[in-house]
Amino acid sequence: MLDTQLRQRPLLLLVGVVLAQVLLLAFQIKREHDVPLIRYWAAELVTPVGRTGTWTSSKIRGIWTGYIALHGAHTENERLRGELDQLRLRNRDLESQAGEAQRLRVLLDFREAHPEAPMLAAQVIGASADPTSHILFINRGERDHVRRNMAVITPDGIVGKVVEVFANNTAQVLLINDRESGVGVLFADTRTHGVVKGTGDPEPLMDYVSTDEKVHAGQLIVTSGEDRIFPKDLPVGVVADVKQGNMFQVIHVRPAVRLDRLEDVLILLSRQDVTLKAVQESPAEPAPQSGAPADAPKPAAATPQTQAAPSPPSTPER
Amino acid sequence: MASMLNAGARSDNIEVHKYYSGTVIVAVFLALVFQAFLHKYGRWSELIDLPLLVTIYFGVSKRNPASGLLLGAAIGILQDALSPDNPIGLYGIAKTLVGYVASSIGGRIDTEHPLSRFGLVFLFFHFHQAIFAVTQRVLLNHSAPFFTLRLLLDSLATAAFGVALFALLDRLRRRS
Repeated sequence: MLDTQLRQRPLLLLVGVVLAQVLLLAFQIKREHDVPLIRYWAAELVTPVGRTGTWTSSKIRGIWTGYIALHGAHTENERLRGELDQLRLRNRDLESQAGEAQRLRVLLDFREAHPEAPMLAAQVIGASADPTSHILFINRGERDHVRRNMAVITPDGIVGKVVEVFANNTAQVLLINDRESGVGVLFADTRTHGVVKGTGDPEPLMDYVSTDEKVHAGQLIVTSGEDRIFPKDLPVGVVADVKQGNMFQVIHVRPAVRLDRLEDVLILLSRQDVTLKAVQESPAEPAPQSGAPADAPKPAAATPQTQAAPSPPSTPER
Repeated sequence: MASMLNAGARSDNIEVHKYYSGTVIVAVFLALVFQAFLHKYGRWSELIDLPLLVTIYFGVSKRNPASGLLLGAAIGILQDALSPDNPIGLYGIAKTLVGYVASSIGGRIDTEHPLSRFGLVFLFFHFHQAIFAVTQRVLLNHSAPFFTLRLLLDSLATAAFGVALFALLDRLRRRS
């Protein structure tokens, strides 16, 4: 009897345990009740270890990825730095080439737009050693048929004139803001004449404009053509500032071309009139490196020439 | 009394393995923790039922049906408790029966050879799945499969892993 009981005890226990669980299941399903206490205990039992395990594994992974796996990173870093330096140099070289190509394209467009006016592209290769003089050296000379008093311009406006030509393909250009320079000009709208004279400062002055004349900042100044160097109606600059003088107004002119940043210029081989209209209307924007300021004046050709231009008192020539 | 002695003598003849104190609790605990938290490290953990392996191993080793079924019940209920989708008792019933059967047959067959262990785990896996499916169908009215290709792969993976795990757990046996 006892033997049977001992043998059957586990079986009875099994039946009891399974039955209890079946009842537990039935309770949960019938009443749609969960047993949150058991889940809570189980979670409380297991999650601290899981959290610790997760924390430990993340730390181990952090140590691995942050330190051990970085073995050789220093060497790779040095190599990459070297490559980066080389690529920076290469990039600078390419940027320079791209800028030059863009400037030359602008000049080429300008030349193609004015087949009637023979002109020659030149590069600025140096400047005067005297800081007060505004003279440039360009890479064109006698062999290129460059002569004294030829006008030097960019698609944005006038630059100056050739004052010296050398046999070794070099010429000197006197900028319009040099104190020796003088350009016959007129206001594009009122056609009032004057002379733009260099002072040695970046901004030249426009002289011989009587105090009766109404002048305002931003007024466009173009060449008058009377100095027999620059063709008529090329942009010279805009009025930057006006002050009343004794007889004439003191007018500061902001040049149409950035004279301190010139790299490529055009030499006009004849005094054939040139208008900048074609270039200004072309889709290609002029490169800023060619010397054009952000507020470059509008083309002279857009200005109607309806008024008779009075002659200036004098047009100085070098 | 004589029958009791006989019963005791019979149980004495069966080799019962003993373990260092706390081994069972730690092993069960780690099996549940790994099963619960290793999901985020990849789907490989879904292939292996660690709590089932621990239930089989200690059931077979202890060779005491009462302790086997109670251990299986405890492991199953905890596994249910850590599975929010399962009502408590689903794994509990299956592992109670596995623990009982494993401890009942532990003394009758060779459970030391890796091949027999592989076969044992493979069979218990499907036995466990069958009970699990019956419980779901009868009590929960859910259509749980008895056998699929995926379950076959799972059982093979669990059996292969079980052979290695059992060898590891053998090292925790106390030498008599």
